[in-house]
Amino acid sequence: MSPHHLNPSSLKSRFTTRFLRALTNINAQNPISSSSPREILQRYRRIKVAADKSMAYSVRSRRTWSRAMRWKLRSRSWRQASSVRRLKITTTCHQAIMKKTAHERESKTTTGEEVGFGVQTDGLRELVPGGEAMDICNLLDETAHYIKCLTTQVQREQIAS
Amino acid sequence: MEPKARTTETRSNGTTSDGDEAVALESLQFTDEIHRLISAPSTDNASSFTALLELPAPQAVELLHSPESAKLIAAPAPNVEDIKGSFHFPSNTGLIERAARFSVFAGDSNNNNNKTGSAETTSNNSSQNPQKEVKSEPAETESCQPLVSDPTVEKRSIKRKDREKKVKGSTKKSKTAANESSEDAEKLPYVHVRARRGQATDSHSLAERARREKINARMKLLQELVPGCNKISGTALVLDEIINHVQSLQRQVEFLSMRLAAVNPRIDFNLDSIFTAESGSLMDGNFPSMVMPLMWPEVQVNGNRQQYQQQWHFDAIQQPIWVREEVCNNYITPENSLLSYDSSANSATLHSNQVKMEL
Repeated sequence: MSPHHLNPSSLKSRFTTRFLRALTNINAQNPISSSSPREILQRYRRIKVAADKSMAYSVRSRRTWSRAMRWKLRSRSWRQASSVRRLKITTTCHQAIMKKTAHERESKTTTGEEVGFGVQTDGLRELVPGGEAMDICNLLDETAHYIKCLTTQVQREQIAS
Repeated sequence: MEPKARTTETRSNGTTSDGDEAVALESLQFTDEIHRLISAPSTDNASSFTALLELPAPQAVELLHSPESAKLIAAPAPNVEDIKGSFHFPSNTGLIERAARFSVFAGDSNNNNNKTGSAETTSNNSSQNPQKEVKSEPAETESCQPLVSDPTVEKRSIKRKDREKKVKGSTKKSKTAANESSEDAEKLPYVHVRARRGQATDSHSLAERARREKINARMKLLQELVPGCNKISGTALVLDEIINHVQSLQRQVEFLSMRLAAVNPRIDFNLDSIFTAESGSLMDGNFPSMVMPLMWPEVQVNGNRQQYQQQWHFDAIQQPIWVREEVCNNYITPENSLLSYDSSANSATLHSNQVKMEL
């Protein structure tokens, strides 16, 4: 087993290193006073974001879903960070992109893949980040990769806890 | 050129009958072509010639059956002047054959030799007619192809492609056609797909079929990834399973990060220990229980919830992983039942509030 994981450039090792780094950062930032619920909640959010972020960054935007996730995280951090102007820019950008993806999606469904899985692909599109703007072929690809990365994430988190 | 041809004609008049029998079969279609040529308005030979160029392309289906007619297709382009010259001869079938062969072999010699007056070549070729004919045909067809302009070649390749699909590929002629089309495939940007028996051969349905095969291949991959999908048949159910799996994975990530948030302070992160601690048994033991959270009956939730309360109190205590995860997954999934329960313990209400806020 161990020779597998010592591969320095595999997805698992990349994710692990980033995630652990993020966790130590979070630990360092908030010295653990007690298990008061609000703090736990805050940390939970931060850890979740850290996990998502570390996974998205280790995939390095070779995949559509990682790009979409990075974009989401970045826009979220912008929103949290500050000003109204930035917020407006991000929201307008977001709206523009969403319109475009909605158009693409419409055109793709109207041109008709004729494949016959209508309902389930919509469900899948909601689940996979960035899935609204892809046709079925690429959507299945992205789903496969996304599943692989999620399982990696879950494994690592289980070990870390 | 003409006098020489006439002398050969007079010399070989006696042998025309033999030549007829010898090459009758081969040149049958050939003579038809020549008749057609001659019957066409002789005023505008060039136009009739382009008509000839157009003519074989739609008729390539039949013409390709005999290599000689393929020669005819290939021959005309380099041999415009020769055949034009032959239009002026009297319509003697023997002479027509000779002229045809002459033009063909002039073309052949043009391709192969690229020098020498046609007169010498005719005398040479007329003596070696039958043998050269057969041998030079495939060479000529293949060598003539690059010489012909692109549109005609493309047209031919399209027609050949269609014809290739109509014929099952069992005969030798279609195999040669296949070879030629495979040659074309290297030269041209067409994707040649061989259609299977009993399937439509439009370009549209071909493209659709290619897409469908792609999609099916990817569905198979997904089926392998998602545990328990191999037994299910039917794409809709498989997709449902995949969606469930992705949802459960996402919830697991959430839950684990929550656990990390609670348990974090006690952990010192040691990379080596983490790497070595990974064991297959640990993972395999966890996943089956976590994959089936939706299957659990609600009756068990009560007892599990109590356990979960205790564990949430003692977050410093590391309970066995499998128990906590079973419980917690089950706790998170039936949200409605969760909210309806009376929460005596603070942590339980807290958790329900957290879940409500998250979702």
